[in-house]
Amino acid sequence: MIAIIGAGPAGLAAAKVAAESNSEVIVLDSAPRPGGQYWRHRDYVQGYKSHRASGYLDSIIGSKNVTYIHGAQVWSATRGKGAITLNYLHEGSEKSITVEKLILTTGAYDRSLPFAGWELPGSMTPGAAQALLKGHGVIGGKKILVSGTGPFLLPVAVGLAEAGADVLGIIEAHSPLRWLRSPIALILNPQKALELLYYLRKIRKYSLKVYFGSAVIGFNGSKAILSKVKSNLESKGKVTEIECDVVAAGWGFNPDVTLGGILGCNQKVDRDGTVIFSVDSEQRSSQQNIWIAGEATGIGGADLALAEGEIAARSALNDSIPLSLKFKRFRLRLFATALQRSYPVGNGWQGWIKPETKICRCEEVSHSEICQSVTELSAQDSRTSKLFTRAGMGLCQGRVCSRNVSEIIAGENGCKVTDQERISYSNRPIAAPISLGVLADGINSQ
Amino acid sequence: MSKFAEREVTFTFNGETFKGVEGQSIAAALMATGVRELRKTRFDGKPRLIFCGIGICFDCVVVIDGVANQRACLVEISDGAKIESQK
Repeated sequence: MIAIIGAGPAGLAAAKVAAESNSEVIVLDSAPRPGGQYWRHRDYVQGYKSHRASGYLDSIIGSKNVTYIHGAQVWSATRGKGAITLNYLHEGSEKSITVEKLILTTGAYDRSLPFAGWELPGSMTPGAAQALLKGHGVIGGKKILVSGTGPFLLPVAVGLAEAGADVLGIIEAHSPLRWLRSPIALILNPQKALELLYYLRKIRKYSLKVYFGSAVIGFNGSKAILSKVKSNLESKGKVTEIECDVVAAGWGFNPDVTLGGILGCNQKVDRDGTVIFSVDSEQRSSQQNIWIAGEATGIGGADLALAEGEIAARSALNDSIPLSLKFKRFRLRLFATALQRSYPVGNGWQGWIKPETKICRCEEVSHSEICQSVTELSAQDSRTSKLFTRAGMGLCQGRVCSRNVSEIIAGENGCKVTDQERISYSNRPIAAPISLGVLADGINSQ
Repeated sequence: MSKFAEREVTFTFNGETFKGVEGQSIAAALMATGVRELRKTRFDGKPRLIFCGIGICFDCVVVIDGVANQRACLVEISDGAKIESQK
């Protein structure tokens, strides 16, 4: 049996291949509905080329050999002889399943940068604004600013505007001219130009304002402070205020590497500082019978995830992989590299924050406390600082703050974050909180 | 595009009665009615709403029918659910 963890584009593409092959497949997804963050939906899917989603969804839901379990959160996994055991939480209890092969498509979540007031109600990630709207039919506030960097800001802002939200602007930190540095990626991916045109037309239709070279560097719940920023995100000092009750700010994505990390799959640090899995040309991880596809092997968007998911499943089923599919992955990976070059996240944000700004949201640890752990207690890495301050020790297990904490500490120490530290802070021993009671019930019933 | 069937669901939040649409998360249903605070923080007593919206950050944790640390952005509302702010 093959298990696929995750039902976003990569997982669905893998499931479709497996469904057509008549092999026995189980898809475990933590969300209540399939589609992942990209195709999250109720009974319909909206957005650029979103009709593709239904084809994939039909293939898994209608297939006899595919078992799809939603609301299943895999919290741990172990490798045995020729078998992989997955332990997951489902409907309030702990269950487990043993499979021969595993395809991990665990996706990514928004990367956030702290700014004064980012912990206040109304400050959220673009992913949250998107999830509220597409997943639950709710607009997060009355006057919305979408801020940060990268192409994901466009569908979020456009989606909100289409739903009738008052979107006051798209605040993009970088100049679109940076794309001129990646001519080959653009030439090989003309379809991306069509996608951009789609969004430009919508931006015109809804008269959305786009502010390039700017960022939201402060928020008080009813007003955002907008600053012109340099390409390393350092504020140029020129600020304006905009009245709004929602700031949806996102700075690219963090791949979710937890489960593959628990299973011992080799990781590496990508150009943009994110931690990703090393995979071979067939998406095989360093561990036997484990394939990884999608954002966890490098942030690249849904098209790349679809290609990688299909390749992973074909490899897991010992099917041939068409050259055209490999070329598709090649050109989309070039595009992903161009994205990293066009939308870098420099360290200039560290100048936006105030001493009292909370860096760890869960444990409410401020910037000054983290700095003190370096200057007064000589912490030289995030692990030591964490022990002194509790930064990163809350319920989210450091998923939101650990990269920022590491970068602040490296900045204070005048050095760069090492790859070893990046891999260390990106991994955690369990993939989701589980209560001891539920765990004990599971053990008793076996 | 088919419109989803909207079935109304009634629940309480800190003793007050709210209505939402079946399938909505607790956070979404509350935010739709203008709620801007799901809990206050442990140390500073500052208000929190949702942040990541997809179950990563645990900022939106609430007590659902007596069970604490439930993510309001993920758990769907159910008829008669008793939701309270986490202390």
